Amino acid sequence: MSAVVITVTSGKGGVGKTTATANISTALAAMGKKVVAIDADIGLRNLDVVMGLENRIVYNLVDVVEGTCRLRQAMIKDKYLPELYLIPAAQSRDKTALTPGDMIELTNQMREDFDYILIDSPAGIEQGFKNAIAPADRVLIVTTPEVSAVRDADRIIGLIEAEGKYSSDLVVNRVRVDLVRRGDMLSTEDVVDVLAISLIGVVPDDESIIISTNQGRPAVLQNGSLAGQAFRDIAARLTGQTVPFMELDGHDSFMKRLSKLFKL
Amino acid sequence: MPNDRIKIKGTSNGLVITLGAGAWPRLVEELDALLGERASFFKGGRVALRVGARLLSTADIEAVGQVLSKHHVTLWAVESEAEETRTAAAELGLEVELEPRPISPEQSRPTAGDTILIRRTLRSGQVVEFPGNVVVIGDVNPGAEIRAGGNVVVWGRLRGAVHAGMNEELGEMAVVCALDMSPSHLRIGDYLALSPADDSRTQIVPEMAFVHDRQIVAEPWSV
Repeated sequence: MSAVVITVTSGKGGVGKTTATANISTALAAMGKKVVAIDADIGLRNLDVVMGLENRIVYNLVDVVEGTCRLRQAMIKDKYLPELYLIPAAQSRDKTALTPGDMIELTNQMREDFDYILIDSPAGIEQGFKNAIAPADRVLIVTTPEVSAVRDADRIIGLIEAEGKYSSDLVVNRVRVDLVRRGDMLSTEDVVDVLAISLIGVVPDDESIIISTNQGRPAVLQNGSLAGQAFRDIAARLTGQTVPFMELDGHDSFMKRLSKLFKL
Repeated sequence: MPNDRIKIKGTSNGLVITLGAGAWPRLVEELDALLGERASFFKGGRVALRVGARLLSTADIEAVGQVLSKHHVTLWAVESEAEETRTAAAELGLEVELEPRPISPEQSRPTAGDTILIRRTLRSGQVVEFPGNVVVIGDVNPGAEIRAGGNVVVWGRLRGAVHAGMNEELGEMAVVCALDMSPSHLRIGDYLALSPADDSRTQIVPEMAFVHDRQIVAEPWSV
């Protein structure tokens, strides 16, 4: 077994990197994969909160790198899934506490024991981003259908290509079908058109994400959540399955289909 | 661990150092350390770098060149699959092929008459600077920049910034062509045009921009 290291990044902050990391990691683990999620956002840790593991943190990523603890001690077992682990970020330090080499070494130590290692990158293009991207085999670029987020995603893709890495996929997050239909929001096609990389998922704007984030229980664990379904589809595509893209245009009919499904 | 990403091999062309993935400044640091460890082995040698598809600017190459010369090692070639990296290396007077070629380095340096072909999307923050003509097959996204001594042709959408005719001899005689001409900022020689605030075009057609009557005009390209 040799894990695939997937870094989730965006450039712009607040577009849903952490939500995407938590949900995709959880979805992969729910498929029976062995998964580690690493929060590389040193100083502004969040992934533990979204996964509901905040009060179990004893050691963190920086402790491992500095040798304060063993790797296994910093790995927090998930509440819901047995094969999912989190390595939290340090909160009292900053991005300079790590180097890209540290991240490569750390992920190499885990590759043998896991199927997927997901890294939640901090926003920006500085040291923290470079740390997060260094060990990546694949990169997921998260953007929202807003011009500013797309600009930043474009810049990030350029920087990743300059590192000699070409396996980037695009996640368009928080799509609002009503706004797209009125022509008030960029459509997914517009975004893909500008960024010219392959699309791996379209996630609708969904209030279940806010609720699940506050509860610390990723939306993929809830059956009725449209965004959760979208993240499950992304996880399936990462494992090589072909999954058709959700019919976001037929929002109502999809909900009806979904509710029909559960009545059966 | 660092030696995973830096491989050193002796070939018929002398020492070849292959630099793998990772942040460039860090690789340069690691190379520095490695050369320090085996100083006597490297001293007085000449090496070629193999950098894969990595995009390097002249400054990046100069940085590694300085580290090498600190250890009394001469850099003579940078081999890369990326056109920009090759151009940057050529501008510094380095070879871009490890196999000796019949032409002398003097002849292989780019001049105003040369053309560089870029077959990918130029993204925000990426800058292409070339003394000759620049042809892009792909889009030039907002935030990207092309600075060319000569003409610029974009077989795609031009939404970034372009400065054509930076070479004084050519200057305002240069033209800029694009399938979809909507640059944020267009300069030809000393003339400057900003894109109109609102895009009122009903139909997108290929256009050619040039200087006419002391201002930049764009005309539809018709056959």
